[in-house]
Amino acid sequence: MTTIRFYLPLFLSLVAWQAAVTAGLAPAEMVPAPLAVFEGLWRLLRGGELLRHVGVSMYRQLAGFMLAAVIGTALGIGMARLEGVRLVFEPLLKLLYPLPKSALIPLLILWFGIGHNSKIFAIFLGCLLPVVLSVYNGSRGIPRWLVWSAQSLGTRPYRLLWKVYFPATLPDLLSGLRIGLALSFTLLVSSEFLIARAGLGFLIQSVGEMGDYAAMFAAILVVALIGFAADRLFVRLMARALRWQEP
Amino acid sequence: MHATPVLRRALGLGVLKRWASVIALFALWEGVCRARLVDPFLLPALSEVLRRGAGELWSGELVAFTALTLYRTLAAFVLAGAIGIAIGVSMSLSAPLRWFGEPVVSFAFPIPKIALMPIFVLWFGVFDLSKIVMTTVAAVVTVISATHLGTRHIDKYLLWSAQSLGTHRRALFWKIVIPAALPAILTGLQIALPMCLIVSIVTEMITGGRGLGGYMIYASRFAESDKVFLGIFLTALIGYVLTEGLAMARRRLLAWHPEETVMV
Amino acid sequence: MPHIEIVGITKVYEQPAAPPIVALDGVDLTVEHDQFVSLVGPSGCGKSTLLHLVGGFISPSTGEIRIDGRPVTGPGPDRGIVFQNFALFPWLTVRGNVEYGLAEKGIPRRERRKVAQHFIDMVKLTGFEEVYPHRLSGGMQQRVALARMLACDPQILLMDEPFGALDAQTRLILQEELKEIWRQARKTVLFVTHDVREAVFLSQRVVVMTARPGRIKEIVDTDLPADAPRLAVDALAEDIWATLREEVLKAVVPGDRREQAP
Repeated sequence: MTTIRFYLPLFLSLVAWQAAVTAGLAPAEMVPAPLAVFEGLWRLLRGGELLRHVGVSMYRQLAGFMLAAVIGTALGIGMARLEGVRLVFEPLLKLLYPLPKSALIPLLILWFGIGHNSKIFAIFLGCLLPVVLSVYNGSRGIPRWLVWSAQSLGTRPYRLLWKVYFPATLPDLLSGLRIGLALSFTLLVSSEFLIARAGLGFLIQSVGEMGDYAAMFAAILVVALIGFAADRLFVRLMARALRWQEP
Repeated sequence: MHATPVLRRALGLGVLKRWASVIALFALWEGVCRARLVDPFLLPALSEVLRRGAGELWSGELVAFTALTLYRTLAAFVLAGAIGIAIGVSMSLSAPLRWFGEPVVSFAFPIPKIALMPIFVLWFGVFDLSKIVMTTVAAVVTVISATHLGTRHIDKYLLWSAQSLGTHRRALFWKIVIPAALPAILTGLQIALPMCLIVSIVTEMITGGRGLGGYMIYASRFAESDKVFLGIFLTALIGYVLTEGLAMARRRLLAWHPEETVMV
Repeated sequence: MPHIEIVGITKVYEQPAAPPIVALDGVDLTVEHDQFVSLVGPSGCGKSTLLHLVGGFISPSTGEIRIDGRPVTGPGPDRGIVFQNFALFPWLTVRGNVEYGLAEKGIPRRERRKVAQHFIDMVKLTGFEEVYPHRLSGGMQQRVALARMLACDPQILLMDEPFGALDAQTRLILQEELKEIWRQARKTVLFVTHDVREAVFLSQRVVVMTARPGRIKEIVDTDLPADAPRLAVDALAEDIWATLREEVLKAVVPGDRREQAP
C-alpha cells in the first residue's frame, strides 16, 4: 500500500502524458501515448516474441552475473588471505579499474562473435570488479578478535574461511553485487544494441527500425521494469540475508 | 613478520614487484604473438598496437575523434552536474518536489538507462544532441540522488550552532547546508564522470560515426584488432586522467574534511 | 604442576621506520589450577598482550608459555576468551553464538541445544535466544560472550578487560555474577583490568605491572574471605593503587610518546 502511494506520482505522470498526446500537445508518432505503448506491449506478448527475447537476455545476464559472483568472491577472499594471489591480481585490477568495461565490447565481439558469449563475457567482466574490490576490502577489514574468538572456540583453520570470513564479508559482497547487478543490465543492453540476433536490445532496435515506435517504447519499458524489479528483489534478499546487521 | 617489507623496500624491489604481474602479462602477450600462437586478427602484438598508435596520432584523425568524445563527455558532465545539483537541492527544500522526485529517482536509479537511446535518436537524430542528452540523462540521476542525500539530512546541531552565532535563517543554506553536503555532492560527481565517459562511448558505438566509440566499433567490424586495442588504451587513459583530475579537485575543495587529511 | 607457566616472556613489536616497541620484558608468572588472577597496570603496559600470548593468538619473541606443562603453540578450546568489545558473531543469534563452539566440537544438535540453554539461563538471558547481538545492550552482549565461552567448557578463562566498555552499574552486577560463576565452576581465570577495585574484589592474586616495557612489579595476595566487608576490599585496593600510581604517572608524562603506540 505504501509502495503504491510512494510511486503514485509516476502513475499520475502516465495519465498526464496520455492526456497531452490525446489533446494533440505532443506528436503521437514521436511520443506514443501510454495506451498505445500498452497496445504495443500486448502485440509483442501475444506473438510470444517478447518472452523469447526476455529469455535470451535473462540467460545472458544470469550467466555473466553468477560467474562474476562466484569468481569475484573467491578472488576477493583469496587476495585478502594469500599474499601471492594479491601480488598477482592487485596490479591487474588496478590496470582494469579506470577502463569503462563497455569499451571492451568491440573487442569481445571480435573475439566471441555475435552469439551469447560476447555478452556473457562483457557482463562477467563488468560485474567482476565491483565484486572483487568490495569482497577484498571487506575481508581485509575483519576484526582480529572475531577470528581469535572463533579460534579459541575450537574452529580449525580451514573452517575459518566458511565460519568467519564468509559471513563477515557478506555485507560487502552483497553491496558489490548490487552495483554489479545494475551494471549487468546496462552492459547487456549495450552489447545487444551493438550486435545480436536475439535479446531485448535487439528487439528494441528491430521494432524501432520498422517504425513501430509503440512497440519500441514497450520493449524499453520491459527492460526498465526488469532492471527495476531485479534491484528491488535483490534489496529484499539482501535485507533478509543481513537481518543480523544493525539497521 | 614486519621484517620482510622493510627489507624489500630497502632493496628497491617494491615497484617492480608491485607491477610484476602486469609486466608479465604484457610480456606474455608480446611473446605469444611473436611466436604466432594466435591469429593476429584476434590479438595483435603489443608492439604492433603501439606502432599503430604512433601512426594514427600523426594522421590526426584519432586525435580529432578523441577530442570529440571528450567534448561530449564533458558537455554531458557539466549539464548533469548543474541540473542534478539544482534538482537535488530543490527536492530537499520543497516537499511537493520531493513527493514527485523521490519515486522518479528511485525508479530511474537501477534501470539500464542506455535502453532509452533509441528514443533519443528518434527525437534528436543521430548526431551530437542525442548522444549528449542520453549521457546527461544517464548521469544526472546519480547527481540528483547524491545531492539530495547530502542536503536532506544536515546535522541539526550544526544548524543550531550557526543560528546561535547569528546566521540568518535564509543564509543557512549557503553558509551551512552546501558546505556540509559538499562531500556527498562531490562523491556523486565522481561517480557521474566515468559514467559520462562510458555512456558517450556506447552512444557513439550505437550510432556509429565519429568519436572513439565509433572508431572502435568500425575497427571491430573490419577485424582491425590493433585499432580496437588502441581505442581501449585511449579510453582507459582518458578515464584515468578524468577520475584522477576530479579526485585532485576533491582534495583541494575538501581540505577541511577529516576524510581527506587521512588519505594524503 | 601449575596450570599456567609463563617463563621469561618478551614481546617486541617491530615497526617500519621507528624503533621497535618492547611490550613485555622478561615476564615470569605461574598460575595454579582454579586460581583467579588479575593483571593490572597502566594502559599500554602489555597486560592484554600477555593475555593474547597465553591464548596463543600471537607468539612471544622469547620465552615460553606452558599449559599443564605443554607449550602453547596456538589458540585452542582449552582456553576460552572474552574481549572488552564482546566480539560476538553478529550474524548469529544469541543461541547461535552460544552453540558455536559446541558445533565446532561436533556435538549433535539436540545435545548442543541443551547445553547452550543451560548457559543462556545461567547468564540470565532466557527469552533472548533468537535475538541478534546488535539488539542487545552492552551488558547483555557481554553475558552472551561469557555464555559462549563457558559452553565450550574451557579449563582456562582469559578475560581481556571484559567489563571495560560497560556502565558502572552493569559492571558491578556482572562482577558479582562472574564471582558466583567462578565459585561454582572452579576454573583458572586470568583477568585483565585497569580497575584495581574490580581486581581485588574478584581475584585471589593481583599482578601489578609496570609501565612499558611491561614487567611484573608486584604480586599481591588478595584472597579475602567470601564475606569480607566492602571496606576491606577498598582498603586493599587503596594499597595496590598506591603502588600502581607511580607507574600510571610514569606512563602519562607529557612528551612521552609511548602512549600512542599500539
